[in-house]
Amino acid sequence: MSMQFTCDDKATLIAYLYGEVDPAERKAVDHHLATCSACAAEVTALGGVRSEMGLWLPPEVELDFAIVKKSAVPPSNVLRPAAWWTTVPAWAQAAAAVLVLAAGAAIANVQVKSDPQGFVVTTGWMAPPPAPALGEPFDGKAVEQRVERALVALEQQLRSEIKSTREPDTRVVSRGSADEATVRRVQQLISESEQRHKQELAMRFVEFTRDMTLQRRADLMKISQGFDEYNGQLLRQRQMLNNVIRVSATPQQ
Amino acid sequence: MVATDEELVARSMDGDADSFNQLVLRWERPIYALAYRVIGRDEDARDVAQETFLRAFRALPGFKGQAKFSSWLYRIALNLCRDWIRRKKRTPVVDMPEGVDVIELAADQGPVESIEDLVARQEMSRIVADGMKLLPDEQRTAIVLKEYHGLTFQEIADLQGCPLSTVKTRLYQGLTVLRRHLESQGMTKYEGGS
Repeated sequence: MSMQFTCDDKATLIAYLYGEVDPAERKAVDHHLATCSACAAEVTALGGVRSEMGLWLPPEVELDFAIVKKSAVPPSNVLRPAAWWTTVPAWAQAAAAVLVLAAGAAIANVQVKSDPQGFVVTTGWMAPPPAPALGEPFDGKAVEQRVERALVALEQQLRSEIKSTREPDTRVVSRGSADEATVRRVQQLISESEQRHKQELAMRFVEFTRDMTLQRRADLMKISQGFDEYNGQLLRQRQMLNNVIRVSATPQQ
Repeated sequence: MVATDEELVARSMDGDADSFNQLVLRWERPIYALAYRVIGRDEDARDVAQETFLRAFRALPGFKGQAKFSSWLYRIALNLCRDWIRRKKRTPVVDMPEGVDVIELAADQGPVESIEDLVARQEMSRIVADGMKLLPDEQRTAIVLKEYHGLTFQEIADLQGCPLSTVKTRLYQGLTVLRRHLESQGMTKYEGGS
């Protein structure tokens, strides 16, 4: 027994419109629409409404909801630049301090005097340097010898200091272990970085897939709407053809 | 291999926060779109969507997986929309997106669509949105779920807690009201319209 569709069966009509009918129902509705112009027009009109509804889109807004905090990067993963003063040896720091003090004193020409009137500190720009005594003879050779001795002493000091820095000591050993720790740290960071990249790649892939799915859904919707419109046109044409057949079948008076 | 919703849910329940973030990323736009079309306000739709995910996160331990995760989310979102409408006692108002520059949009669309076409499309979008305002909540929700989210009649019936036949009736009545509204606004006059 074939199924019958009646004009007041709007539930089946709407199911037909959305394509959620079984083949028997579809056949019954198709058969009815071919002969009932009112139902055919209604299906066409409702299909048209569905097409127009596709125009209503929500605004494109940035959502980026943060419901769960992303796991914070532990501080140990962050390489920080070491303070410059921790890399300079202590003796060099002391030498630099002495040099700075000496240079300061030389520029300022600090003089400390103690006399019965009290303790007096003067600087170079507070009092002019004493003029050389005119009566004292200038002994050039003695000055030259003093300078030479000072230079030799300075050379020996420098040699001993350079030698001491070249000798291996415990500091070098500890530095070696520090280097190993740094290498381990760098390797750890590299592996963590790779892990992060993998995660990012996976996230991108998820986003890409989601976009593709949405696009596909939109395309399918458009195609479906196109089919609906086409069906409507087909129905109208069928209806017109029926009318023509009916008119041509009517005997002429 | 992309993880399914169910896999991500299972991992989230084991305490993996990133998995839940992936679920949020996957579903935030559909949920926002649903809320926007049901309650019609951008800012409130955002709040509803965010609240949906917050509630989902809190209720996750109780999610037994009888329904699809997406259906579960839709249910939470729709309950929140219903609460919002009831609390505010407002008729849903559909705003056009703010700050939309027609010229810029036309430039984005490229040479395929002219500015005239774009303006006409925006106007039609506004008319459709106005038509949706005319519908009772249940009809509008049924149409949104069917038309924009592609749910089956049965899924809508489950979400709305009503028989299948009621869903079809709501859809038919809603579409009919929309049809009359579109015709009254001078949009396509459908041949043989009653």
